[in-house]
Amino acid sequence: MLRLIIEKELRDIVTSTKFAVTFASCAALILLAFFMGGARYHADVARYEAAQAENLKKIEGVTDWLQVRDNRIFLPPQPLATLVCGVSNDIGRTTQVRGRGELSQNETRYGDEPVFAMFRFLDLEFIFQIVLSLFAVVFAYDAVCGEKERGTLRLTFANPLPRRRYIAGKLIGAFLGLALPLLVPVLLGCLLLTQMGIPLSADEWVRLALIIGTGLLYFGAFLTIGIAVSALTVRSSSAFLALLVIWIAAVLILPRSAILLAGRAVDVPSLDDINAKKFRYQEQLFDEDRVKMSSFSPSSTGDMQKMVGEFQKFMTSISDEREKKMDEFSARLNEERANKQALQQSLALGIARVSPSAAFSLAAEALAGTSLTLKDHYLQAAKEYQQTFAKFMLDKTGMNPGGGMVFRIRIDDSQKSAPINPREIPPFVYRPMTLSEVLPSAVIDIGLLFVCTLLFFALAHLAFHRYDLR
Amino acid sequence: MLGILIRKELTATLLSPKFGATFAVCAALILLSVLIGIQEYRAAVRQYDEAIQLAAQNLRTESSWMGLSTHAYRRPDPMQLLITGVNNDVGRASGINQVEDVKLTNSLYSEDTIFALFRSVDLTFIVSVVLSLFAILFTYDAVNGEREGGTLQLTFANPVPRATFILAKLLGSWLSLVIPLLVPLALGGLVLLLSGIPFSVDQLERLALFLVVSLLYFTLFIALGVLFSTLMRKSSMSFLVSLSAWVVLVLIVPRLGVMAAGAARPIPSVAETEAQVDAFAKDRWEAQMQAMQSRWQQRQEAMRSLTPQEREAYQRDHEHAWTEDDAAGRRDVERDIDAFSLRVSEDFRNRKSAQERIALSLARISPASSYQLAAMSVAGTDISLKSRYEDAMRAYRSAFTAFVDKKQQETGHQGGFRITVDSQTGFHFSAPRERGTLDVSNVPVFSPPQSTFGEMAASVAIDAGLLSIVTLLSYAGAFLTFLRYDIR
Repeated sequence: MLRLIIEKELRDIVTSTKFAVTFASCAALILLAFFMGGARYHADVARYEAAQAENLKKIEGVTDWLQVRDNRIFLPPQPLATLVCGVSNDIGRTTQVRGRGELSQNETRYGDEPVFAMFRFLDLEFIFQIVLSLFAVVFAYDAVCGEKERGTLRLTFANPLPRRRYIAGKLIGAFLGLALPLLVPVLLGCLLLTQMGIPLSADEWVRLALIIGTGLLYFGAFLTIGIAVSALTVRSSSAFLALLVIWIAAVLILPRSAILLAGRAVDVPSLDDINAKKFRYQEQLFDEDRVKMSSFSPSSTGDMQKMVGEFQKFMTSISDEREKKMDEFSARLNEERANKQALQQSLALGIARVSPSAAFSLAAEALAGTSLTLKDHYLQAAKEYQQTFAKFMLDKTGMNPGGGMVFRIRIDDSQKSAPINPREIPPFVYRPMTLSEVLPSAVIDIGLLFVCTLLFFALAHLAFHRYDLR
Repeated sequence: MLGILIRKELTATLLSPKFGATFAVCAALILLSVLIGIQEYRAAVRQYDEAIQLAAQNLRTESSWMGLSTHAYRRPDPMQLLITGVNNDVGRASGINQVEDVKLTNSLYSEDTIFALFRSVDLTFIVSVVLSLFAILFTYDAVNGEREGGTLQLTFANPVPRATFILAKLLGSWLSLVIPLLVPLALGGLVLLLSGIPFSVDQLERLALFLVVSLLYFTLFIALGVLFSTLMRKSSMSFLVSLSAWVVLVLIVPRLGVMAAGAARPIPSVAETEAQVDAFAKDRWEAQMQAMQSRWQQRQEAMRSLTPQEREAYQRDHEHAWTEDDAAGRRDVERDIDAFSLRVSEDFRNRKSAQERIALSLARISPASSYQLAAMSVAGTDISLKSRYEDAMRAYRSAFTAFVDKKQQETGHQGGFRITVDSQTGFHFSAPRERGTLDVSNVPVFSPPQSTFGEMAASVAIDAGLLSIVTLLSYAGAFLTFLRYDIR
């Protein structure tokens, strides 16, 4: 009997014009998202490589390694980030790395090109989150009450059919009829990606598969919500209205409002305040160092080069000390801010997660590697690179001045030294997050989606048990 | 007859439960967006005040004019609480110093990235997404619903001219949806006034313009709904078409338009252009180093034949002139770098605005983006926000650096530290420091730029015009289609 219900449901759905229209448009959108994502990835990679080339070009012709004060590193474009944008366009992608000192990430995509911030991108996450959920609502709103209005509910229950089978049959039938056909454009899209030459590692393919799976789970959750509401109402027009209100609340309003209301409830110390404190402390340290510098005297006053050499070493040693103190001070301030931010995050996201739409967003972004952790991950990688760069500078020049004062003496102009080879600078290799790193945070949200589906399934069951079938 | 029909429309809509529910939801959402907007604005103002104070404090505690730097901040605008636009994506501060060009950094979304996850729920969002959905869902069965219900036949059993009927439908549906909307909007306005946020006359005018444009947008979707209901026979069909049209117009086209422009006209990244400026700067400073070196050698040459006492006297006499020369050389380099940087950034900006023009033209296919662009122009949070502030900050930077230079010359280039390397007397390091602090009372202060009402109205006119044309065309279409409609 269950199988018959499922078959009937499938046939109902697949032969309706509603299905043809909505499926065609969803398929078109999904393929478009894959295509434009691929094109954007290629464009981003071209710009990334051009920026890197310019970066190296600017040190061509330099004859002294001491003149190379810093190296600009960039966050390389990630293929999954073009499919699920997340916050990848809101974080700074460029970091100016000196041998020592704090790093700051600048140049966000939306900050540089605000035209994209106005309407943002049509990525896979958007299609799943907004379009597919609306799709689910449009199909599920008259699941039970529509059949009652058409009179076919009575006819179905003229057969020996237990009530619980009916809801299950409806859900499975709707899911199979709607979600499985969507796999076709998704697979075509993945094929398109390989044709376009987008390099995805095995890890990334698995993550993409998980993102699609979560999307389908989210779709199923909305189907369940739709069926539950339809089992609670008698008229399909009121079911549709109620579902629309739920859709607007869950997809459009709740995530945003939760973040904005709960986010501001926690008092996070502002960056301006922290930077001002750091600046003042640094001034204080510089003042102390001035006194030290005034009391410096070289061991011999004959050899110019030797004098300068000694002075440089002296400067490096006081720089090291100063940096140690600065690091301690900064670490304390940064930790305080990070703790408050973590609290803010757990509060805001916790409330937002009540909406399955937010849970899906967070899961998809976590799996794609474009969640809030991207910022910290990039900063961590930049810090590690700073160590590499500092060691490199130390090897080449015997000191690591960072951004500080560098003193060079050229006595004899006829002495033209050979230009350095910029390619000797160690390249910044960014290691993207792996599945094992992102899975723990995604699992929470995937679990929430499961729970939501189960809850509404139970609700639909209960509602239908007392439903007037006539 | 027209009056009776309009009254019928009004009662039919206003007394339906559908209306009560959707009206309550719209009212709640409008109030929510206004309250959230007020909270966001207050937070932004707090942050701005704090930042300004810190910058002023830092200036006061400086003791040397050399290398003096400060920050300029974007002032929060009350209009931003209703229309966020790109306000949170564009940086809110820039460093002002003699060496680097102005660059807006530290946007809200880059600093507190959690707010970038789901972005803002401002009044523009509520109107462009939610209200349009409700408008189209109320009118999609205006005509064919009546035909299916059989009441169309009954109406035309009376001597009702077709033109009167469709006119009554259009007017009635408009009145019954717009007038109730004014209630939560007025409530929202009241909440705004009571919040104590100061609005200038210019801002109140902009607010009124924003309301007019929002109502125009709402009317457009009412017209579209009625148009679809006359074009399709079955209301289930017009429902599907209306919903799809809404999804495509409001959600899809704006994003697609911008993405297509980005792919069609790629521009170099800011990192690339900055690297170009850096390369030029390095070359220029190299040349300066050479020049300084030859100057130093000349000076040593001139002192070669002097005795130690004469040498000291000579140095003391020429110290001021030498420092002036060095400073002049440095200023030349900075000026050259500034000019180059300006050229590069202007070139970048031109290419970017070419791309933006294409993007916005493509996006304007959708009335939702026309509306959002108009709203952003009114509030000043469209893409010109960035260039407006950058230009104003550049002007401020010139004034500031000119002032600092003047002060430096007046006080004789004190501060910083001086390292003298002499082949005979050896190393000499001195860090003469003014014990006191500077008199910063006359330092120029950054005043935020204002866009005039005239400028803004010109850019709003395009979008308002587009919206009006589409509305009129829809109404005309509905009218004409109904004249040949099969009433049975």
